[in-house]
Amino acid sequence: MVIEVRDLVKRYGDVTAVDRLSFEVERGEVFGLLGPNGAGKTTTIRVIMDILRPDEGEVRVLGLPPREAKHRVGYLPEERGLYRNLKVLDTLVYLAELKGVKRAVARERAMRLLEEVDLADWAGRKVRDLSRGMQQRLQFIASFVHDPEVLFLDEPFQGLDPLNVDRIKRLILALHEQGKTIVLSSHQMDLVEALCDRILLVNHGKRVLYGDLAEIKRRYAPNAVRVRAPFLPPDLPGVAEVRSEDGSFYLTLIEGRQPNEILRALIAQDVEVEAFEVASVPLEQIFIAAVKEGVE
Amino acid sequence: MKLDWRKVWVVARHEYLTNVRRTGFIIMTAIVPTLGLIALLVGALLAPQARQIGESIASFFDTGGKRIGLVDHSGEFTPVLPEYEDTFTVFASDEEAEAAVDADEVEIVLVVPEDYLETGRVIVLTKGSGFDAAVVEDSPTIHAFFVDHLLDGKVDPELRARLIDPIEPELRMLGGKEGVSGGWGVVFGFFIPYFLAVFLVMTIFTSSGYLLQGVAEEKESRVIEIVVSSVRPIELMAGKVIGLGALGLTQVGVWLGSVWLLSGGAAALLAVAATLVAPRVFLLAAVYYVLGFLLYAVLMAGVGALGTTMRESQQLAGIFSMFAMIPYMLSGLLFANPNVGLARALSYFPLTAPTMMMMRLPLADVPTIDIVVSILVLLASIPAALWFGGRLFEIGLLIYGKRPTMREVWAILRGSRTVARS
Repeated sequence: MVIEVRDLVKRYGDVTAVDRLSFEVERGEVFGLLGPNGAGKTTTIRVIMDILRPDEGEVRVLGLPPREAKHRVGYLPEERGLYRNLKVLDTLVYLAELKGVKRAVARERAMRLLEEVDLADWAGRKVRDLSRGMQQRLQFIASFVHDPEVLFLDEPFQGLDPLNVDRIKRLILALHEQGKTIVLSSHQMDLVEALCDRILLVNHGKRVLYGDLAEIKRRYAPNAVRVRAPFLPPDLPGVAEVRSEDGSFYLTLIEGRQPNEILRALIAQDVEVEAFEVASVPLEQIFIAAVKEGVE
Repeated sequence: MKLDWRKVWVVARHEYLTNVRRTGFIIMTAIVPTLGLIALLVGALLAPQARQIGESIASFFDTGGKRIGLVDHSGEFTPVLPEYEDTFTVFASDEEAEAAVDADEVEIVLVVPEDYLETGRVIVLTKGSGFDAAVVEDSPTIHAFFVDHLLDGKVDPELRARLIDPIEPELRMLGGKEGVSGGWGVVFGFFIPYFLAVFLVMTIFTSSGYLLQGVAEEKESRVIEIVVSSVRPIELMAGKVIGLGALGLTQVGVWLGSVWLLSGGAAALLAVAATLVAPRVFLLAAVYYVLGFLLYAVLMAGVGALGTTMRESQQLAGIFSMFAMIPYMLSGLLFANPNVGLARALSYFPLTAPTMMMMRLPLADVPTIDIVVSILVLLASIPAALWFGGRLFEIGLLIYGKRPTMREVWAILRGSRTVARS
């Protein structure tokens, strides 16, 4: 287990930002930390990063108290910013050195990462000379210039144009392939769906949804299938309702009936099935529903 | 609480290297050598003119350069001694002398009556103002003329010379300081140490100002989030204080070095300063410098971190600069008596002790008890400042948006609340 959070409580005065929150992050996965604004995501990350101290509960990072794991964790905060008057390369080297990397090693790694994000030509320029997109890229690589095992990305896609979103997405996937554990907090549900293996949804500091993303989607899926075909026979067994939607048919099943039975019936009746899938609900809808429903 | 000194060092080096390149720092550092150089050049170029100006000022208060007439009814002053023949013209009668003044051959005529020895009366004939009588009375040339002629042949030349110029002052300060001849010693004795103290205090505040500015920038740009996820606030603060302390020392070093280099020719200046400012004073000044910097920097870092913008931080930290400036406002009092009660009291108060002691030390023999107490007070208050400043710094780092109220800060310090909203 890379991250273990047990009954974490964090209060600001009378406000309880995080309320008995527990979850785990496994090695090598991309873990989504989701929730509406002010749900306590950033506070949770700050406690794990040893920026804040918990009021109650226990947090272990790589099996250690957060303070002792600092060097092995990377962090891209939601609030972005770098030393504007510092040179690009010097910025990366300094931030890596703060994480305990030797100067020479930091330099070499920083140069390699700058090349990867097409900023090598800007290494000697000041940060303030960079465009917004370039600064975002620089900030992104700054979070893992020290080669951490775990990486926390708080809203990494915020304010990016589609080109840079794609770029960052591919970088995240590359890091995942290298075996890094990634904790991703984002409001862009399509990207979360594309990237995450497991998710935790928090609201008012409490756990609302937690677990395998595919499993959660199944749980929230309606008992329905989506079929694309030239026509549908009028009386399919086990179907309660048929709706035509975007050039396909949306079939709601009778309670207890399985999608396989429908597929079998379609083939038996010689329907030319072009596409068949178990209907799913976008994560965004699950998010809204779960937040409205409250605690799991 | 164990510090990771490697990280402290990384922060210190970073702070030093980024700030040493600041334009403001370079200008501040270069200003002393530049001013010194300009003073030397101007001095060299204008030296002849300066001498002329000096001479003309002197001659205004003397009769030098003017021809003086003399009518001697007493017989004490004629014939005129050879060394005065160029300056004094003898006239046989009052009428002849008046005619010469009228014709501008001489500017004034001294008429010495027969009863001069008994009365000391001398009549001054002039077309000018009544001021000339005063000039005659104070003129060293005329004074020497009278003494020389009255005593010629009656006393030996050495005694005559002493009567003309009876006092050659040499200053001897009490309290073990070496004597330095001439009135300039007194001036150096006051001003060199005084300006040294002023400069030291200035570097303390430029460095702490940079610290404040750095923290405010890190907060405003939010880079602080990444930094505190890597180092503990106390390590960050320690690194900043050490790095910027070294920066201040660099500035002082450049200043002292340039003074030493520039005064290469006029080594006398340095010698004067060195004899006046005893090694003990230098050593103690260094101690107060370091202690003062630690105290102010830590407090300013802590209080400054509570501000959410540079402006706000400066306002908050300005409180400490004001305390440090109090001794300067009392300069007049200190020059009169460096050991006055108020000065001693302020030496026992941590926020004024460093500047007060740096100012008092060169001016007088400060009682040992004052030195011991002030250093002990500072040593005791620095850990307290570290706790207080460090705590505020930690809280302040993550507060954006709105500055906390005094009540909130107090609640946080007492530990009844953890970090305030973010």
